[in-house]
Amino acid sequence: MMPRAFRSAQPSREFRPAQDVVTLRLGGELLAIESGLVREVLEPGAITRVPNAPAFAAGLLNVRGTVVPLTDLRIPLRMPRCPRDADTRILVLDLKLAGAASVVGILAEKVHEVTQISSAAIEDVPDVGARWPAQFVRAIGRKDTQYFIIPDLDAIFAAFLAVPLGAALQIA
Amino acid sequence: MKRTVLVVDDSASVRRLISSTLRAAGYDTIEATDGQDALSIARTARPAAVITDQNMPNLDGLGFIRAFRALPGTAGVPVIFLSTENAETLKQKARAAGALGWMTKPFDDRKLLNVVSKVLGA
Amino acid sequence: MTEDAEQLFPIEARALAESLEAGLLDLKSHPEDRALIDGVFRDLHTLKGSGAMFGHTRLAQFLHDFETAFEAVRDGRLRVSPALVELGLRACDHAMALLDGGSAEPGEVLLSALAALTLEPGAAQAAAQPDDLAAGTGVGDSLALGREAAAVPDQDGPPPWSLSVYLAGDTLTLGGRPLGVLDELRALGAQRLHPLLDRLPPLSELTPDRLYVGWRMELPGELSEEVIREAFLFHDEGLDLELERRAAGPAEAAAARGATAAADPEQPDAERRPKGSAGAMMRVPAERLDEMMDRVGELVIAEARLAELAARSGDTLLITVAEEIQRLATSMRETTMSIRMTPIGSISGRFRRLVHDLDATLGKPIDLVIEGQDTELDKTVIEMLADPLMHLIRNSADHGLETPEERRSMGKPDVGTIRMGARYSGAEVVITLADDGRGLDLGKLRAHAEKRGLIGPEDDLDDAEIRALILQPGFSTAQSVTELSGRGVGMDVVRRTIEQLRGTLEVESEPGHGTQISMRLPLTLAIIDGLLVEVAGERYTIPLAAVEHIIELPEDRAQETGHTRLLTIRDKLVPFLRLRQLLDSPGAPGPHQKVVVVTAGELRVGLTVDRIIGSSQTVIKQLSPLHAALKSFSGATVLGDGTVALILDVPQLVAFGQALDAVEAA
Repeated sequence: MMPRAFRSAQPSREFRPAQDVVTLRLGGELLAIESGLVREVLEPGAITRVPNAPAFAAGLLNVRGTVVPLTDLRIPLRMPRCPRDADTRILVLDLKLAGAASVVGILAEKVHEVTQISSAAIEDVPDVGARWPAQFVRAIGRKDTQYFIIPDLDAIFAAFLAVPLGAALQIA
Repeated sequence: MKRTVLVVDDSASVRRLISSTLRAAGYDTIEATDGQDALSIARTARPAAVITDQNMPNLDGLGFIRAFRALPGTAGVPVIFLSTENAETLKQKARAAGALGWMTKPFDDRKLLNVVSKVLGA
Repeated sequence: MTEDAEQLFPIEARALAESLEAGLLDLKSHPEDRALIDGVFRDLHTLKGSGAMFGHTRLAQFLHDFETAFEAVRDGRLRVSPALVELGLRACDHAMALLDGGSAEPGEVLLSALAALTLEPGAAQAAAQPDDLAAGTGVGDSLALGREAAAVPDQDGPPPWSLSVYLAGDTLTLGGRPLGVLDELRALGAQRLHPLLDRLPPLSELTPDRLYVGWRMELPGELSEEVIREAFLFHDEGLDLELERRAAGPAEAAAARGATAAADPEQPDAERRPKGSAGAMMRVPAERLDEMMDRVGELVIAEARLAELAARSGDTLLITVAEEIQRLATSMRETTMSIRMTPIGSISGRFRRLVHDLDATLGKPIDLVIEGQDTELDKTVIEMLADPLMHLIRNSADHGLETPEERRSMGKPDVGTIRMGARYSGAEVVITLADDGRGLDLGKLRAHAEKRGLIGPEDDLDDAEIRALILQPGFSTAQSVTELSGRGVGMDVVRRTIEQLRGTLEVESEPGHGTQISMRLPLTLAIIDGLLVEVAGERYTIPLAAVEHIIELPEDRAQETGHTRLLTIRDKLVPFLRLRQLLDSPGAPGPHQKVVVVTAGELRVGLTVDRIIGSSQTVIKQLSPLHAALKSFSGATVLGDGTVALILDVPQLVAFGQALDAVEAA
């Protein structure tokens, strides 16, 4: 998978320069999502619960007439969850699911800014990277003294779709 | 195209019962609370069929049917007459007033749908 | 000549060829039918003429002789024979090949065969089977005759009814529908319908809105008098009806029985031929219809939002406009949907041709009976169904039906019957394909599945499970591969296609009597009428087509738990499911719950909900792959206030409820 490619290309502890990201807070941590994927950021309106759906994809929302699934990255990343508040936002992303272009929402506890960060493979930052499931983290980003988790969205969604009802992610 | 049935009864519950049964079967309905009300609706709404009760304030079923038939463009619109009594004389009167057919209360939704679908064509 | 017209020609030519093919197939069984002969001639003539105009000279030259031949038929100088029909069909194929730029060579053979046939009408038999054509004709007169003789099974029932009836003269004025009565009688099996005109007054005395015409007809003797009289609901006043049993002569009785099998000979030509043949039709690329459906979907959503805003504003003018737009949107939606809906009959021409060809290749006379041609399904669904159905027909003909000798020895008629039926059942369409052949040999099936490693010798399977083995991937009947079943799709592909359409497949079979495959398909449409309900503050949509009626849940039943329970509705026990539990909804139910009685397959089931909100047009949005595994929902929809509501898939939800109960019981 892609992240492994730049492990060999990048020498240890060296951060790849500047990429545009949207930074957000989730599970008390800082995450960065490639800004090219982000279609828009919404305040959470009415979210419809999907009965019997796994916690990772437990809701639906209406984005300009399109029904979009709402996902919670805290489940695969094994992060603590807290209730929604005034800062809660939804990032609407353009992703490929099972080969088809899809629109997916992800929950954010707070959205910070669009910025540029440099990144390195997770193995190269052991003190920061060890806490999260390595297969779901593409890289660790850094800006000044702050570190960001760059989740591997392809791997997360592929793992979810590979198991009926996302049982793996729920148990994980 | 959905066909509209005018439902005339002074009892809100009977009206609603008939309406909801017909709507669930794919018809549109308009409700009228008595003959007078029904007449004013019929002047503008042009229903495909009418189901009317007999005993109502202001204008009863027979009176309404006669007045309805006097309106232009109502020839060929089937009217079904509802009553709690199964009296032959009343039945004759209804027919003479211009009702096509007759149903005795109480009736169930199956019977109602059967009658309406026959009258309007499935 | 415009570029547009040039693009149009191949489409039109194909439609003409299809219509020609259908006409020829019809002629096979009705060789004297003038309307059919005229139609075939007209199609040939138009195809030749427009072909010449668009530079298809080879096509035009080729068709010229056939046109001449059918002109002779039309003028009574030549009779329709099976050989002529066969040649016509081959000419049809050849014409299509020419349109696709194929070689002209095979045409020569056809033309010389045609010449032999038309020069010497007595030589029909010889001309039908020249060596070059032998690749699978074998349809000779003897065979066709044998079939006619066998078509009428010899059985005696009660003598038919003879019915003469005049409805009241004021029927039309009062809104009665004589045609509805006739339709109902026809559904009961009425035949030989004749108008009775003896009460028609002289023109000067005729009142246009009075009904003077009566009818005489025959009805099957098996019907009871009450059943027949029921057709006259609301017509008893002023009804003049004579009903008597009639001892029919043997010839007439036989004719009557024969006629019930397939097309009614007295039915006008236009009704017998499948809909969708050429004529005043316009062909539109399917993508444009899809696009249009999308736009209409958006319109419906926007309209719902407008209606809600208007209602909230309390502005009567605005409300009136909103209602007007709602009316327009509704009719727009219905029109658009009806454009997409296609009768099954639109693809039945292919089946009839297939059977005609199979008949010849296999040397088994086959009768294809198609019922419910008018049953409509979404165009995409119909297209996807064509291949699986072709495969099933091929299978039935190849493996199911016996040879005429075998059939005779079993006391069956020589001609095997394949029956395709389509009908509505709740919110589904059921398509069945049945043959009267030898049925499935369960022992052989099982042995074969074991050999293929699909099951072990120790596996305990009941009959239904063994029959279902033929749907398994890897269960290929390779040992009995013939030219026919070697090609095309396998049974597992049939199954997969049906599942893709969210349908189910069932195999039934009786040894010695035949096999029946039933396919249940949802009327998958982009927009449905939905019943919006509320459960624990959450809203869900139930397809209205599945809803039978709504009742109050008796208060003493409201607090029970469990997923399935029984409720007495009009003296019948109806199981009901608590949606609150199935949907894992929070909170306790209130005292005034409603039960929505729905049909799921052959089952009636009640669903308990807190509140009925109302019915509305519902635009189905597919769920993302993330939720595709949740079978209880067939999609989602955007409500007027912008929130999303899930659409319940009733049969799947019922299955889910039963599974939950089973788990709890264990």
